[in-house]
Amino acid sequence: MHRSLLTRPTVSLLLGVSIVPTTAGLIAALWFGLDAGALARVIATPGIGLSIGSSLWTGCIATAVALLLAHLAVGLAASGNWRRRLNSLVLPLLAMPHLAIGIGLALVLAPSGVLLRLLSPWATGFELPPDWLIVNDTGGISLIAGLVLKETCFLVIALAAALAQVPAEKLQAQSATLGYGPLKGWLAAIAPALQQQIRLPLAAVLVFGITNVEMAIPLGPGLPPTFSVLLWRWFTDPDPAIHAQAYAGTLVLLVFSVAAIAVAGGLGRLGRKCLIASAQSGQRRAAETAVRRAFGGFLIVGWALGALSIIAIGLRAIAGPWRFPTLLPTSRSFTTLQDIASLTAGVGATTLALAGATALVGIALVLPAAEHCRQSVTARRQVGAWLFLPLLVPQMTFLFGVQVLLVRLDIDGTFVAVLWSHLIFALPYLWGILAPARAAIDPRYEQVAATLGVTRSVTWLTVTAPLLARSMLLALALAFSVSVALYLPTLFAGAGRVATAATEAAAAAGSGNLRLAAAHAILLAVIPLAAFAAAFTGGAALFRQRRGVPR
Amino acid sequence: MQARRRTPGVVVALLAAVVFASYGKAQTQDWDAVVDEARGQTVYFNAWGGDLAINRYIEWAAARVREEYGVELRHVRVTDVAESVTRIIAERTAGRASGGSVDLLWINGENFAALKRAGLLFGPWAMQMPNATRVNWQGNPSTMTDGSLATDGFELPWGTAALTFFFDAARVEVAPKNPDELLAWIERHPGRFSYPQPPSFLGSAFLKQMLLALSETKQRFDAPVADDFDALTLPLWRWLDRAHKSMWRRGRLFPQSGPAQRDLLAIGELDWMLSYNPAEASRAIRQGEMHAGIGALYFDAGALANSHFLAIPYNSGATAGARVVANFLASPEAQARKADERYWGDPTVLDLDSLGADEHAYFDVLDIGPATPPPAKRFLAEPHPSWTTRLEQTWLERYVR
Repeated sequence: MHRSLLTRPTVSLLLGVSIVPTTAGLIAALWFGLDAGALARVIATPGIGLSIGSSLWTGCIATAVALLLAHLAVGLAASGNWRRRLNSLVLPLLAMPHLAIGIGLALVLAPSGVLLRLLSPWATGFELPPDWLIVNDTGGISLIAGLVLKETCFLVIALAAALAQVPAEKLQAQSATLGYGPLKGWLAAIAPALQQQIRLPLAAVLVFGITNVEMAIPLGPGLPPTFSVLLWRWFTDPDPAIHAQAYAGTLVLLVFSVAAIAVAGGLGRLGRKCLIASAQSGQRRAAETAVRRAFGGFLIVGWALGALSIIAIGLRAIAGPWRFPTLLPTSRSFTTLQDIASLTAGVGATTLALAGATALVGIALVLPAAEHCRQSVTARRQVGAWLFLPLLVPQMTFLFGVQVLLVRLDIDGTFVAVLWSHLIFALPYLWGILAPARAAIDPRYEQVAATLGVTRSVTWLTVTAPLLARSMLLALALAFSVSVALYLPTLFAGAGRVATAATEAAAAAGSGNLRLAAAHAILLAVIPLAAFAAAFTGGAALFRQRRGVPR
Repeated sequence: MQARRRTPGVVVALLAAVVFASYGKAQTQDWDAVVDEARGQTVYFNAWGGDLAINRYIEWAAARVREEYGVELRHVRVTDVAESVTRIIAERTAGRASGGSVDLLWINGENFAALKRAGLLFGPWAMQMPNATRVNWQGNPSTMTDGSLATDGFELPWGTAALTFFFDAARVEVAPKNPDELLAWIERHPGRFSYPQPPSFLGSAFLKQMLLALSETKQRFDAPVADDFDALTLPLWRWLDRAHKSMWRRGRLFPQSGPAQRDLLAIGELDWMLSYNPAEASRAIRQGEMHAGIGALYFDAGALANSHFLAIPYNSGATAGARVVANFLASPEAQARKADERYWGDPTVLDLDSLGADEHAYFDVLDIGPATPPPAKRFLAEPHPSWTTRLEQTWLERYVR
């Protein structure tokens, strides 16, 4: 049944929008990237081993730590009845783009950052910032910290969504009657089932971790940088020979990403076995309270870092000379405030227009397809998996192919081209929210409408749409924040002519101009937060007079 | 100013003079035609967008050319003009020979060399600009040879400067006059000196400045690199090996660019910064981005001189508009505003003695700040570009570990 569903025009249009450019881009990337000479030069680059090594190390460790923390968070929350609170803790951090968090963390953690200013000179005695290699450290620890902060939030949401597919409460109750504590019960009975459900989001996190530039630019090692940042530098080099190197390099990136996914898959199976073995051992440890406390502390630290990041961005953007160790900028230049306003006005408008268009077009593409797939879980899952595929390919690899194709078609640098590239990244999330929401609506509402002689479109508008309203608002906000955060797609499809908060912030962070970066990071942080706040307020307002209506 | 031996520059200057003298009238008519054609055109100006003041200056210029010539100037803010060079090359690869995405470039050095060698530039056009007659071709040879490569009229000088060392005067009591004195200061103040990471623009400039300051025979560097590279650069690597041990983050991390280093000086992580713009510190102080008490110095051996230019890609669809904009940017009005530290503070390329009284008046009211050094007494010529490439490569091989 689902096979015929996939050929429906609405569904194939949705899939085509995402799959066609991705595939074409990949083919173009292979076509232009397979060059033995360039590949040899990539390998001969000074420090290339370290570069690739630090990409793999930071991406893999960050993913592993984030996964562990996310499982702990969801497990503890589910057993401690604070699932809803966990969501509200996680969502603001999730909404903040990687680039904004990265810039913010750099401003917090650096030796001249907010954290040491809080302690200096009264506790540390530092009158000058200490010469410590904390941010941009060779070991990539600060980059890992940044990635963990963001990806834990993402995985918490993914796990929470997967939880709906698993009879969690039943399993939990069973394990409790067997005398397991809530955490052990969670790990033994529920986590393995959830893990199956979040394989795709997890793979996406891994690929992003290994290949991202958004966090690696502000936080990653500098000498040498991670492999993706090295490629990003090559892409912007005037020498065509080095350019060919960047093309070939994206294929190396692809190979390493695929290999990492394969290895992670193997490790996942191994981990499952270990969990099951540990369950079968029958041991019931009593250390759960300690774990719970430690983890609570962890959450608070993470959240405090996130909040401090936002504050630091704001301070840095408006600060005049902000000498260490003064905590608050002593002077604030009004020219700077005016500069920020005039600089960000145009950029903000473009960012908002793109985000709005992405959200609306995305919803328009997703809703009809979700309508067709409402009765088939398998079809929904298949469509979801297809839409997710672009997130499993390193962005640079297919985007550079897409760029070449766009130039050939003479539509590079247009709004539509950038919008399309944003849709590729927004659709999987829109589908993830709207398809299950549509399927969850009890068909009897529509049946009742039909017996009253109402046409299908009127039924949809008057019955289905209002029931979907809240999900639609959330989907809008999510698509909005995905679009705002996208850097590489905007850069490649926009031909450098479409300036958004992300491109400007990345450009400034790339040249190390943190003040300018902070000015744009304010936009990056504020727009998604405002979108989510609006969605939640809107949703609450809509349902204030409809208590008891299924949401 | 040090005597320069670049005959091509002089030849071009003489040729230009002949051209101006004999075709003066035809020139005017040609120019009128260009101005007519330019009206209504949109010029995409790909220029580094990392500096607020520069961005605002370009906004001002856009308003002026709109009002004066009906040309729509759009500033495409790039991180590095190399991105635009990449685009132009990509467009050639894709077969787009007209209607390209870039109409005007802020460019110099290797980026210019890459485009010129690949034949991807429109022109020659610069010598036919009415304002080209006012450029200080002879007094400032770096307007004529861009990193040892003759510009041949494919780019018009837009600004010129000398590599300046800025320092926190409260922490550097006696300004070092040569590399040895600088090294002594660095070793007395561990963790307080750094330079932008090569191959960034200013990082490579620092390597060249130090190489020249540490070398006896500076003329050798006008010619391409040869087998003597290792021997000639040995003093530089010795100096760096020692300095890195006492530098910021022990030489394991470097500021990513000039503005990044300025930021680090302003917040107190470093006591030094580098800039090609002698007015950089004064301007930063004036705009409330830097504390007062900044000093500036040039080495006794001389300051590395550098000009920057405007060029037009071969596939621009608005070459007339681009020329009109470039000519405006080289006008006394635009050059004076550019030199004014309230707006940008970048020294002019014009020969002020050649200006009429009304034109000169623009320059009589300039505002110069307290952290701006008096003009450099000696200029060091850029080494041949092959040196830059080799220095960057060797630096990476030595220090990326």
